[in-house]
Amino acid sequence: MFKPFATLNRTTFLIMVIAQAVFTLTVWQLTPAGLIPHPSRILEALGELLTSKLLIDNLLVSLLLTVKAMFYSVLITLVFSYLSVIPFFNSIAQLIVKCRYLTLTGLIFIFTLLTRDGGALKLSLLMFGIVPFFTTSFLSVLVRIPAQEFELCQTLGYNRWQTLYEVIIVGKADQVFEIVRQNFAIAWMMITMVEGLNMSEGGIGALLIKYNKYNDLPRVLALQGVIFGLGLCFDYALGSLRRWFFPYTKL
Amino acid sequence: MTPYSKKEVLLQTENVSLAYDGRTILRDINFCIRDIVRPGLQQGQVVSLIGRSGIGKTQLFRILSGLRKPDRGKVVIRERKPAETGGGAIEIWQQRVVEPGDMGVIFQNYYQFGWRTVRQSLMLAARQNKCLAGKEESAILDYAARFDISDVLNHYPAQLSGGQQQRVSIIQQLLKGADFLLLDEPFSGLDVCVLDKVTELLLQVSLSDELKTLIIVSHDIATSVAISDTVFILGRETGREGSTLVKEIDLMERGLAWCPDVRREKAFAETLAEIKSCL
Repeated sequence: MFKPFATLNRTTFLIMVIAQAVFTLTVWQLTPAGLIPHPSRILEALGELLTSKLLIDNLLVSLLLTVKAMFYSVLITLVFSYLSVIPFFNSIAQLIVKCRYLTLTGLIFIFTLLTRDGGALKLSLLMFGIVPFFTTSFLSVLVRIPAQEFELCQTLGYNRWQTLYEVIIVGKADQVFEIVRQNFAIAWMMITMVEGLNMSEGGIGALLIKYNKYNDLPRVLALQGVIFGLGLCFDYALGSLRRWFFPYTKL
Repeated sequence: MTPYSKKEVLLQTENVSLAYDGRTILRDINFCIRDIVRPGLQQGQVVSLIGRSGIGKTQLFRILSGLRKPDRGKVVIRERKPAETGGGAIEIWQQRVVEPGDMGVIFQNYYQFGWRTVRQSLMLAARQNKCLAGKEESAILDYAARFDISDVLNHYPAQLSGGQQQRVSIIQQLLKGADFLLLDEPFSGLDVCVLDKVTELLLQVSLSDELKTLIIVSHDIATSVAISDTVFILGRETGREGSTLVKEIDLMERGLAWCPDVRREKAFAETLAEIKSCL
């Protein structure tokens, strides 16, 4: 367990993680109370949130917005990434990649002018934030394609469009899931920020800002716990879906 | 000696040269492969290109396959083309410069698409062959049975052994329907038992069609000589930059072609020594 490159079986690893978590929580609980609430107080706050309709309603708003933003972002990413192999569109894909250096805060007014309501504003801001990261990841997958994949297509007598379909669209479909899984954290992080920018429709981000304003730290940390837990669930679900749709990825 | 005759030129390289970073790699490669005819037999051609490691064999392999254009010279192939005349469908012959896709190419590591099962990979190739239109599935099953891979048709490449991957690669290129089959180091890293099977397999392929031509690029002299009818030796000439063909050995003339126990022949050992002296 303490040797470099040692391998642990799944059960041992699970027991180790649980033991580490229990140890950390115990130490946290036993430290003298200060500004940071104890785990028991956070759990209490979580219980209160779960019994109220507030958490579920706001969580659903955030989830719906995230799924919508992810769906459209994946669609835009795929279109521009696939087209990036055509020189004319490559510059557009490269521009999208560079857009990750733009901050959302400076663009809120522009997006407000371009969208019709708060929902559309949040969706467009989220997409603008996510697409550059998705595109960056997917283009790096395309760059790493071994020359042999293209050569095998050539030896089979494929034309360029057939090669694009086989090597990039079909061959890298599993990577799309992996990229979504890896970048979901970015989307999940942005949602709280975007909902904080426009609080008209609520959402978990708006709720966080509200509790932060009143310095209700137990509820803030309870919400963070919910966000963290949901992120892990999505990570697991996307990983499972990838293995189910593309069985060769687990070989 | 088995009677045979050499007929039409099937492939010809004309002054093929290649330089990389201003350094000559290949220089004036000239050779031709002719259709070998044996009365009463369906006999393809097996040609070996032998040379030491780093001599430029892989570059020549890529040029022959059409994947790389030479800086100078060309590779010309003779191919059958179906044509319609007033009297019905006939085959006409035409000569042209080789292009990617003209040759069946089997890479050294038998690369296959990792996301396709064996059946799907073979289907991709079969669909490229117009002669198999509507009969792709039966052709795949037939080849799979002949090459003993029926039980792994639904497996992915990662689940196959090295030998199975090699057979899948060969079948894939055969299904594509090319007359030429280029093999890069097919004997590399194989144990003695597998080596015998591979040799047998290649001979089986060469006998499948009169025009089927196997071009083996290898540094394994003994195995290459044992299955070939002609050997070309790639080497360097003193005082000149780049590799070129330094010798052509007609194994049919020496009675060393199509002979199952060729390794026991005295002439076989002499030929090996002769080749080694040229490398």
